[in-house]
Formats: sequence, C-alpha cells, structure tokens
Amino acid sequence: MKTTFKEENGNFVMYFEGRLDTAAAPNVEQEMKVLYESEGHDIILDCTQLDYISSSGLRLFLSLLKIAKPKGSHVFITGLNDDLRQVFAMTGFINLFEFK
Amino acid sequence: MAHLSPHGEELVNQFRTFRPQYEELLHQVDSRLRKVLHEQGVELNAIESRVKSEESFIGKLERKGEKYQSLEDITDLVGFRIITFFTDDVDKVAAIVKNLFVVNWEESVDKRKLHELTSFGYNSLHYICNLKEGPLSRIPFEIQMRTALQHVWSAIEHDIGYKGAVKLPPEFRRQFSRLAGMLELADDEFSRLRITMADYRRQIKALVKNGQLDDVPLSTDSFRSFLELHPFERLNQRIAAVNQAEIFPVSLMPFLRILESFNIQTLGDVQRFIDDNSEDAYQLALSHLAVTDLDILSETIGLQYLSLVHVLKNGGGRAGLCMIYDTINGASEANMALADWMLEQAKTLPFMQKK
Repeated sequence: MKTTFKEENGNFVMYFEGRLDTAAAPNVEQEMKVLYESEGHDIILDCTQLDYISSSGLRLFLSLLKIAKPKGSHVFITGLNDDLRQVFAMTGFINLFEFK
Repeated sequence: MAHLSPHGEELVNQFRTFRPQYEELLHQVDSRLRKVLHEQGVELNAIESRVKSEESFIGKLERKGEKYQSLEDITDLVGFRIITFFTDDVDKVAAIVKNLFVVNWEESVDKRKLHELTSFGYNSLHYICNLKEGPLSRIPFEIQMRTALQHVWSAIEHDIGYKGAVKLPPEFRRQFSRLAGMLELADDEFSRLRITMADYRRQIKALVKNGQLDDVPLSTDSFRSFLELHPFERLNQRIAAVNQAEIFPVSLMPFLRILESFNIQTLGDVQRFIDDNSEDAYQLALSHLAVTDLDILSETIGLQYLSLVHVLKNGGGRAGLCMIYDTINGASEANMALADWMLEQAKTLPFMQKK
C-alpha cells in the first residue's frame, strides 16, 4: 500500500495505491496526518489506483472527515472504481463524502 | 484643546489619567454580560462595547462642557450596545442587566415609551449603570439595548442626517414615519412568528410523544422530533448484528427529501413505511453485508435500505434507485452503475419474486 501527498491548486491531495486493509491501516493513518492541518484547503482523496478498502480504511476516511469538516474543508473522493463505490453504498457512507 | 475652558482641559487630563480604569471596567462588564446572556440562552445579533475616544470626549465637552462638574457626570464614557434579534428579548436583556448591575433610574431612558403617538424612529432602551461593588463601582457606564432592526434604523437615520440642523419638510418626515412604522411592524411580526413556531413545535412534540403520528404532517421539525424516538434503531441494530458492526452516528435529516419524494404525508405514514419494509430491508442488507467483513456502518443504514426496498417494491426500478443516490449524494453517472448493481443483487430476494 502506497500513499503520496501533494498540494495541487491549493488543495491537499493524497493518492492511494494498492490495498487499504487492516494491515496497511496503521501506516496509512500516520501518512494521512499531513491532511489534518487543512485550514483553508479542500482535501482530495484520489482513489484511482486503490484496489480495496476494508473497515479500517473506512474508519481512516471517517476520522479525517470529522477533523476536516469543522475546519471548513471539503473532503472529496475521486476515481473510486465500482467495487469500492459499492462498499460506500452498502455501509451507508455514500452521502457523507463528496464524490468527484 | 483650543476651544475648551480651563475646567474642560482639566476634565480631559483626568480622562487620560483614568482611561486604564475605564478599560478595566469595560472588560469586567463585557465578560459578565456575555457569560450571563449566554447562560440564559439569549441569542444576540451582537454586543458592541467601547471606551469613548479622546476626540469624541473633547467634542462632547465643546458642545456642552459647562454641564459637567466632574467625570462622573458623563455617563457614557464606557458604553455597551446589546443588539437582539427579537423585540421580546430586549426586555429579557433589560431584566438581566437590572439583576447584574445597579441601574440609575433617574438617568436611564426607555425611548420606546417616550414615543408620542405621531412620532417615530429611534426606539431603544438606555440604562445608566454602576457595578454593585468594588473600586470601579463609582464609574457609571451606559448600556443600550435594541433589536437588529432598530439598530439598522438608527444607523440609517444617522447616515441620512435626519436629526441634523436643517428642519426637514413634512413630506420627508412622512416618509421616515412610514418606514419606521414598517420596521416596528416587522419587529413585532418576527416576535409573533417566533412564538407561533415555538407553540407549533411543542404541539408536534406532544403528538409524537403520545403516538398520534397520523395527525402530524411530515416536515423538518416533525421529522426531527420523530427521530428523537429512534425509530430506525431496531433495524439498524439488526443489520449491524450481521457483522457485529459499530454504528457511526450521522444525521438522518438528508433522507427527509427522499421520504417526501415518496409522497409520505404524515409521521404515521413514515411509521407504516418502516413497518411494511423492515424485514425486506434487512434481507437486502444481509445479502450485501454477509459476504463482507465490513464492521462499521452509518446510522443511516436502516433508512437507506428501507428507501431502496420501497422503490423496488413500488416498481421504481433503476431510475428510482438512481434518484435515491442522486438525492443523497448529488447527481452522477456512477449512480446508474450503483442502481444496476443494486437491482442485480435484489432480484433473487423474496419481495422481488412476489411482484
């Protein structure tokens, strides 16, 4: 599992690559902390290269949302494949994030 | 200070000396006002406060310096303005101020009552106060209380210069009068509306509490009251038990629009929507979740599956499912793919066979 952080057009962008499962979650959690200081920026989670997300991965996204929203930052998810979108739909989280 | 008498100059020197005490008084009164008003739940448009600037102080002495023997005679060196949204709250704020401080009634003015029947304009309540005790209690301060609309009126009146030296012709006075009347009426109507809405909310809550759901029209307020009964909790817990999942708390209010689109009219209809669809919603959720190890679910989970089942049972098909996703998550082409997947998953379930 690999993540890459970039600041693009004033947005905080994190690229996810591989499988975001229980084993990968602790490292990814550390890497996502750079997104927590998001005042004045929107956050884009680019999942184009993400193959799988487990409950642990969903929890990381939800934690980020909880921290970013009060700071006025929008959290967008882009590039979800159909399988991953179904995970968001079947857990009921599809209306919490903004999909692009 | 070219225009001031020696006495006036002496007052200005004293003003400079005492300025730190005025600042301290401002700070003490400001924090006490904010704390108590917050505790009493009075919603305010603003609290403004200031120590009079030296320039403005000198201006005042130039205009009416002879009137003042000492600084204590000038009651607005430290001033506050509390601006409420509703006219009823001006009286509530006044009662709080009366409790917190010593009010000098001889100096205080209720300009709202000074109105002659034919006069108009600046309605506001001014209290001259002192702290009840302590070294700063000898310094008076002024608290003005008014509504936001009265504040706007006052600002416009000041800007237009209505109270200027030139006497305005009657037609202008009449225009002012009409506008002032309109604002006063608007203030009263806002207050009345607030009281009516509070009554309505209480009635709705009582009906919901007594289970008279068919008498309660579906609305933002009534749905919010209904949610306090946790009507979806049983289904949520049943679905969560599939994977021993935790329920992540979120607002269910975004689904109100979906319920309205189903032509659900009353809370009684919502209850029947739950009763008629819960078993099938559980079966649909089970068919999705049982083959996964997903152990975190949104609090909307039950309501979402109820809505999907309602659409499927009523022949809404792909377009109906897509409408649900479009409503809760914004229109997107990907929602069509989700709708197709959902249709495919549902087609083997018993409630789809019965159709």
